[in-house]
Amino acid sequence: MAAGVEMREEAPRVARLHAILWGIFSLGGMLAAFLLPVMIYLTGIAYPLGLWPLNGSRDPSFLVMGTLLGVLFVFVTVAGSLFHGIFRFQSALTEVGLLRLKKGLEAAGYLIIFAGIILLAYYLLVLNPSLPAL
Amino acid sequence: MDTATIRVTRYRPETGPEPFFQEYKVPYRNDMVVLDALNYIKANLDGSLTYRWSCRMGVCGSCGANVDGTPKLTCASFLHEFKGRTINVEPLPNFPVIKDLVVNMEDFMRKLVKIKPWIIREKETPPEQGEYQQSAEELERYQQFSSCINCMLCYSACPIYGLNEKFLGPAATALAYRYIEDSRDQGKNVRFPIVHEMEGVWECTLVGECSVVCPKGVDPMLAIQKTKILGATNALRSILMPRGGR
Amino acid sequence: MTEKTFPELRRKLTSGWWTSNRHYVQYMVREWTSLFVALFSLVYIYGLSLLATGSRSAFLNLLKSPAMIAFSFIALIFTLYHAVTWFYLLGQVVPVKIGKTTSKPWQALVANLVLLIIVSYLVIWLLVLR
Repeated sequence: MAAGVEMREEAPRVARLHAILWGIFSLGGMLAAFLLPVMIYLTGIAYPLGLWPLNGSRDPSFLVMGTLLGVLFVFVTVAGSLFHGIFRFQSALTEVGLLRLKKGLEAAGYLIIFAGIILLAYYLLVLNPSLPAL
Repeated sequence: MDTATIRVTRYRPETGPEPFFQEYKVPYRNDMVVLDALNYIKANLDGSLTYRWSCRMGVCGSCGANVDGTPKLTCASFLHEFKGRTINVEPLPNFPVIKDLVVNMEDFMRKLVKIKPWIIREKETPPEQGEYQQSAEELERYQQFSSCINCMLCYSACPIYGLNEKFLGPAATALAYRYIEDSRDQGKNVRFPIVHEMEGVWECTLVGECSVVCPKGVDPMLAIQKTKILGATNALRSILMPRGGR
Repeated sequence: MTEKTFPELRRKLTSGWWTSNRHYVQYMVREWTSLFVALFSLVYIYGLSLLATGSRSAFLNLLKSPAMIAFSFIALIFTLYHAVTWFYLLGQVVPVKIGKTTSKPWQALVANLVLLIIVSYLVIWLLVLR
């Protein structure tokens, strides 16, 4: 703020894109809270340690191969969590001394988010070649 | 009578550019607050101490300071709560200091006006035609947000405002939301662009300290999140229904 | 007569501002632990790349490596922490109104934790047990 306070207010512009991104971020927070714990448990803990319900012969690749429900579950959970976590972390970084890099961090954050989501979708399609036909 | 040690941050630009600390010993009774101590100092120890105050009863909102590291009304901080510890009294954080405990409120005032804190009607009706009526339930929807006394404690507690002073901030958004939720108001199209621009609500990362320090029980954190939800749903609607969606 | 003006004192927030009070520390812990929510997703996408390029054993060996198991445990704990803080904030921002009483944040936390258990079991039932 200048000492003499100039009243040259620019006409406010609704940050519509950012509003949408915030909506996705919130949705991602919801998905991460409700679906990510069970996903981490199944893939990262139950399978390697042979715990219930993966104490049989199944390995967690069945989650992403064959059933539309499994593929959808993995896609929304991973994409939502990635969006939510990166969005939050890049803004936390600006609050602990990297304010100068705000624009760059934001750009890097969205790059990671969208590259990650595109790769995720690509791999899921490769693993399920019949999926587009559904 | 006990004695409290008050350590006040002094800033006297006419004598030097650096702030410094000054300690005062103040005798106190159990019913005395930090503001009483400041008044005692000014009357008996050091007439040069500069600070704002008026009502002494938590209504006017002018005596805010950083007491022991937390933004508080000095008229509502009892000396006996600090039990013999030195009490640090600093000017409210995040605002430029003019002198001692007096900060520049210009930016805050400008933000309050910016959100147009009055009832906007599409068409004003003359007073003779009566009041704009409202039910008790409709009043309840916004009532807590109208209790703000403009003490600026929430801005002092907000690190996001401290980092970026363009951020619209807690009290101004709470006040905007007070009108958005008011059934008599018809100014959404005017007010939404102000709160939903980039430096409106979107900078907030939900630290939540604004609502903790508010002496009047206003919940600006809630107002900001509600305003964000309105912004996101409006944006979504305008994309799904580009024509006449609003 | 011209009035003499003096400069105002501008105080900058230091990068360690968040250590000055317990709530700020809790906030920073909340934000930094949420990074693991994204990290697990990135590692999982990397695992999928192994699986998609035909190397199923590389994918499974990754999951079975001790480092990955340790990481999964940490990620699970932090994700649950995210869930707890998220549910509590949800209770603060969108309280439910039943009759004349409005729900408290801790009630939303408990209700949503119960819902989390139900949803988790439902996922296991739909995708694994069925």
